[in-house]
Amino acid sequence: MITAGIDMGVQNVKVVILKDGEILARSLAPSGFEPGKAAEKAFKEALKKAKISSDEVEHVTATGVGVEMAPRADSKVSMIAADAKAGVYLYSSARTVIDVGAEEARVIKCDEKGNVLDFAVNERCAAGSGAFIEAMARALEVKVEDMGALSLNANGTVSISATCVIFGESDVVSLIHKQEPKHEIARAIYDALAERIISMIHRVGLNSDVVLVGGVAKDVGFAAALKRKLETEVLIPENPEFTGALGAALYAMEKVGEMQK
Amino acid sequence: MIELIGEILKAIIIIGTILAGILAILIWVKNQTKNITYLRTLIQVAFIPLIFLGLIVGPFGLPQSPPAGNAPREVLLGAENLKGWFPDGITVPVLACYYPSGRTVTCAIWQIQSYIYPFWNPGLGFWGTFYTNSGIERLAIVLGLLIAMSLVLGRFFCGWICPFGLYMDLLSNIRATFKKGYRKFSEKTNTAIHQLRYVIIAAFLIISIIFGSQAIFGLQLVSGTQQGEYVYNYFSAPYCQVCPMKPLCVLTETSLGYMDPAYVLESTTGAFYEAGYFLTSLNLAILVLVTIIALAYRRFWCRICPLGGLIALFNRYPPFKWASITRLNKVEEKCTKCGICKRVCPTQVTEVYEKEGGDVTTSACILCLRCVEMCPYEDCLKLNVAGKTIFKSRNWVNSR
Amino acid sequence: MNVKNESDKKYALEIAPKEAEELRNAIRATSTKVIAENIKRMKKTWPNRPETMQYFDEIANFFGTREKEIREAKEEGKKVIGYTCMFAPIELILAADAIPVRVSSGWYDSAKLGNRIVPVEVCPVIRSTIGVKMIDLSPYLELSDALITTLTCDGMTKLSEILGYYKPVWTLCPPRIKDSEQSMAFWKEELKTLKDNIEKLTGTKITSKKLRSAIELMHKAAKAFRKLQDVRKGNPVIMGRDAMLVNQTSMWDDIERWTRKTEELCSELEKRAQEKAWACPPDTPRVMITGTPIIWPDNWKLPNLIEEANPQGVIVVDELCSGDRFLYDPVGVDEWNMDDMFNAVAERYLLPSTCPCFTSEDGNENRVNWLISKVKEFRVDGVIYYVVRGCMLYAMEYMRIKKALDQLNVPVYYLDTDYTREDTGQIKTRVEAFLEMLKSRVEI
Repeated sequence: MITAGIDMGVQNVKVVILKDGEILARSLAPSGFEPGKAAEKAFKEALKKAKISSDEVEHVTATGVGVEMAPRADSKVSMIAADAKAGVYLYSSARTVIDVGAEEARVIKCDEKGNVLDFAVNERCAAGSGAFIEAMARALEVKVEDMGALSLNANGTVSISATCVIFGESDVVSLIHKQEPKHEIARAIYDALAERIISMIHRVGLNSDVVLVGGVAKDVGFAAALKRKLETEVLIPENPEFTGALGAALYAMEKVGEMQK
Repeated sequence: MIELIGEILKAIIIIGTILAGILAILIWVKNQTKNITYLRTLIQVAFIPLIFLGLIVGPFGLPQSPPAGNAPREVLLGAENLKGWFPDGITVPVLACYYPSGRTVTCAIWQIQSYIYPFWNPGLGFWGTFYTNSGIERLAIVLGLLIAMSLVLGRFFCGWICPFGLYMDLLSNIRATFKKGYRKFSEKTNTAIHQLRYVIIAAFLIISIIFGSQAIFGLQLVSGTQQGEYVYNYFSAPYCQVCPMKPLCVLTETSLGYMDPAYVLESTTGAFYEAGYFLTSLNLAILVLVTIIALAYRRFWCRICPLGGLIALFNRYPPFKWASITRLNKVEEKCTKCGICKRVCPTQVTEVYEKEGGDVTTSACILCLRCVEMCPYEDCLKLNVAGKTIFKSRNWVNSR
Repeated sequence: MNVKNESDKKYALEIAPKEAEELRNAIRATSTKVIAENIKRMKKTWPNRPETMQYFDEIANFFGTREKEIREAKEEGKKVIGYTCMFAPIELILAADAIPVRVSSGWYDSAKLGNRIVPVEVCPVIRSTIGVKMIDLSPYLELSDALITTLTCDGMTKLSEILGYYKPVWTLCPPRIKDSEQSMAFWKEELKTLKDNIEKLTGTKITSKKLRSAIELMHKAAKAFRKLQDVRKGNPVIMGRDAMLVNQTSMWDDIERWTRKTEELCSELEKRAQEKAWACPPDTPRVMITGTPIIWPDNWKLPNLIEEANPQGVIVVDELCSGDRFLYDPVGVDEWNMDDMFNAVAERYLLPSTCPCFTSEDGNENRVNWLISKVKEFRVDGVIYYVVRGCMLYAMEYMRIKKALDQLNVPVYYLDTDYTREDTGQIKTRVEAFLEMLKSRVEI
């Protein structure tokens, strides 16, 4: 059985194709101003990589913010449910899934089957997501890709309060003026983000194992800060940004199974 | 034989009427904030002839004082079987004086006092007993009956059976017809008043023991307490000299013609009826005082009634508490703390409101069930007898 | 320096008359559109919507029949008394032959106007009401001869001051501790003052006969309301939004007529229940909303999202002072004399209130108990704890409510939003995720 999941993310559209539960192909395209077109492009690319045609895909499930613009969606599922399914697929012991994306961060508590038991989403504010890191990198005049490695050298001598991206930015600027070293400021930025995520975790309760997914999971600085603050092992899969699409494809499999019954 | 059939028919008619009345109330009274009250009033009124006019059977029209005629109880069906067992009447924990009533039931306080003092065998007749000479045995029987009744029904007696309770309710109704509001004590005062009952019981039992010391210990503490002397004659039951029920009973019986007023006055002595078997100036004054206060403060006497206190002792305090059968129960989650139960309670009980769920019966509660009637949430308050729900609160809004 | 004129002491609600007129017309037009659209959406979700609902749709129109009726009544000499909060004793207003109307604002666009006067962090209901006063938008607020405001939270307290410059405002201060004797005595004094004010305004003395008929009228309304509640306990014969609309219209409609129409609606719903004509599939996740008031028309955002979501949810009961709390507790009168009736009214408006503005030793337990008993009676699958930005009281009680409901194994989702349309997309994602979660639980 071949199914596909399309994650209409805010920054990038991601597609995952599954065959009998094994990942066949992945592809990613920037959403830009026309996410529908980007999604079509990503979907075609994934099909090419998998060497199959669109008709061979039995069921496509879409997720993410712009689901209505997906080129094909036989069903849809929320990002939260998709994350839970993917988390348990990747690590069977996963019970808390943290998804930090470009604009939104989510914490999901799930059971061993990937059913959602509780969830929390950062409330209408970008201070708990990738946008925060981008804004801070701008203020620090460092490339986003480099900031993670930079922060690993630091000892945690400074801190910033991260109630708001705007205030965080002025905090960073004043630290620069005080001539604090860049790597320390970088670490402080990740620590602040991790604090925000942890307060969300407390709303649903922490159950191990903890899995970190989403675009920001690739950032070594953030992963280190989260591990440090949680004082527990945090599992990070390869290609964490594809978790949403993977979850959607898994959901598609379940849907096919249901319809066959 | 014909007489027996006649008596049985009379009994059936009377019981039948009462049951019909109960059914009528349960079926026809649509206003769900009133039907338990009507039922209760019916039962209170039904007990009046039972208590005063001698348990269903007559004789009516005969004076009921000892020098003239049988006690109506003695004419009761199957009374031969009861004869030896309850010579002074069946002990019930309601205010029902033995002599001024139909000599069928007795107030427990009178019996306790009269068995403490005089303690020795006074023979038949006046305060006499037929079954045993031992004071302790007599006391044990009375207390046993009292405890049994308290455990089974608790202060249900106060709310539904006691004639003085009916008197209190009548005063309330008179006040209500004149559209006058009732008054309440402050919570502190009310709690203090409720404690007064135990003080009264304790005081009078101690006085009884002091007066009866000659009989109990062989030591005369107060003069005039020997058999035949002044205190012995008039103050053997010291509480009854101040109880307001006694003059009420006497006045009711004499005005209905069942008691000879001349005989009543004859047995009174002293200036201003200082002392007497039936009526004294003191208990008359207390009756008037209690009446006046009860017009403003509902069920005033019931808050300080020592008999109620006795029932409460044997019903609400451990170890009796665990065995008591009649309980008021609250389901915590249905309670919205609206306070209606607290406001409508005639004796100003606050525990039904304050306690969290479960058994909310308290010693001050006379189980009149006004709170159950007025609680507007289905199944929140219940009266349980041996675990089975007899009355429960209903969504009376639906009956408007 | 001395403050020169009275107007210098006022909050500057002044806005250029031309601008005010433009805004008023614009928002009125938007509002009329929103009202019509909401009704259309409700009809779409429930194609088999009963004819009786049309009456409530008409009353729900702020600029329609009801406004005209009240205006005509005023011309005949009747007084209109507005109130912002559920603590206001309706029976006293009715007993004086006055017309009670609730004037809390549900308009999103006026909240932005309110931002000119008070900070953005203030509760949006308050900001919206201020905005509404600035441009004289609300017909009921404008028609009120006096306002009853309650000093329950900070926002309400200051709103009383602000409105006080434009209308006679009678404040009621509910004591923050309900249970003590002095609180009850104080509250009764507050209501006595209010009663005197009402009598003076209307020129009618509140006699015990009038108060009795007012209480009995509200009893009948409570009876109709309870019937509607009972009908929602079983499988859904009425969609939540429609029931919420029915409940809310009672706050400005003629009570007697409302009662009659609601009884009609309930008879029809009971018939449908027998015929098993469900409004939505019986296995639809059953949702309860608890928290800050949800006021028609603009703030129908959340109920719309819940009942139009995929998977769909149905709102079976709510713990909102704009909804199922309004008529829930009846006035229990012991003896029909003035004293007892007045005490009964006073107690009914203070003691069973589940507003979080109280503090108590048992932790406002009656709110917890109410929620628990409703979860059981209505077989609620999930609870949405709805809080508008800036409401400290409801936000702070969340933890306690969550703990209590966790013990019943009912999921609670904290939803925080504002008087804005911009976050509809985000709220939609969350609501749908929550409903998905409920649906999969139901299937398990």
